[in-house]
Amino acid sequence: MELVKRYIAAVQRELPDTKRDEIGRELHANIMDQLDALQEQKGQLTDFDIAAVLKSMGHPRAVAEQFVPPQPLISPSYMRLYKHTLFMVLGILFLLQVVDSTSAWLSSQMGLLGYLHSLASGFLQDVLLAFSSITLTFWLMSRYSPAQDRKYQQNWQPELLPEAGPGWQHIPLQDIFTDLATYLFLLIVIWHPLWLSQEQLEASRFLLTDSAHQLLKWASPLPLLGIANSLWQLRQRLWNKQMLIANVLLNAAFGIAILLLATVDPLLNLDPGAWQGVFELHQLERAAVTGLVITAMFPLWEVLRDILRLRKG
Amino acid sequence: MTTAQLDKMRLELRRGVLVLAVLGSLKQPHYGYSLRKQLQDGGIDIDEGTLYPLIRRLADQGLLDSEWQQGEGRERRYYQLSELGTTLLAQLTDEWQHLNSALATLLGGATEEKQ
Repeated sequence: MELVKRYIAAVQRELPDTKRDEIGRELHANIMDQLDALQEQKGQLTDFDIAAVLKSMGHPRAVAEQFVPPQPLISPSYMRLYKHTLFMVLGILFLLQVVDSTSAWLSSQMGLLGYLHSLASGFLQDVLLAFSSITLTFWLMSRYSPAQDRKYQQNWQPELLPEAGPGWQHIPLQDIFTDLATYLFLLIVIWHPLWLSQEQLEASRFLLTDSAHQLLKWASPLPLLGIANSLWQLRQRLWNKQMLIANVLLNAAFGIAILLLATVDPLLNLDPGAWQGVFELHQLERAAVTGLVITAMFPLWEVLRDILRLRKG
Repeated sequence: MTTAQLDKMRLELRRGVLVLAVLGSLKQPHYGYSLRKQLQDGGIDIDEGTLYPLIRRLADQGLLDSEWQQGEGRERRYYQLSELGTTLLAQLTDEWQHLNSALATLLGGATEEKQ
């Protein structure tokens, strides 16, 4: 009977404390009944016979899971809300990290790689903390109130559902937050001298010349409008005609502003000594202009895409 | 269809039916092993690793009453339909008969089409 004891102990190890004794006791009674029945048929049982009976019961872990089915960390009724909360919070944290890292970058001697590292590592820390806290909260909610209030399942009307549109109609959250992060980045870059001290300003060297910076200041209503547009998208989450028109106008303005920036000469405020023997300044200027022209293609591509969508719609 | 797919679908098909079979068998009190024998004698083969946890879950839901009793020199836990279980069994039996007759028509039609 040593094998039976070992089997029951193995099942009990996989069970919660509160159920171990009761299930172990019952399992023992059931196994002994089976062995008695087998003994009536075969006579004295060997360890091999007992092992065969136990094997037919199933692996101890599988039997334990049948008695107490494993519970998911997050109840399925909360899963949609959990994912939505997680993406929204991560999106907002990304925006805050963009603000934080960009401010630190502009007020220090940090290089571009340092900035990207600061942005990635800061965001990763935020993600770990947010993911743990949100998951823990939803785990507690799932544990103490497993069934979410399902009033929304009763109080809905088919007439209130949005019109069925093409596959692109739904606006993904990551697109909205990427746009918001870009607009915030631009605003901080343009207006950072406002909150830097005189010492910090003298210590830092802005990448663009004064004339290019002036042009950016004139263009700063565009990122503000972009933020408003993204918040509108965040509220609606579905493209409609007005939203597409707004997007076309905004992206066209962005494309033109970037191309205008590319025409400013000189564009870059570079320290000739720092680049001596590495690149010629005119090469860097040309590279920056090419980069800006390529960058302008992105909003202009969105203009084309949204015009096509408007025509099809 | 692969064997794995067939096994999975058979498992799904049997899951609800097994509950009905267990509830139906527990109009009289049974302990785990005697219930399994009764089901086997009735043509329903169910392995112990599935049956014993199933009985416990039904008892946890209040559909079965249970009691430890001494018998043949050993303690055994006897299960029997509770009042709630009896009501539910009647409803499930009606549902089963309705489904069964509907399915008989549908499957009969499918068999004729095949022929």
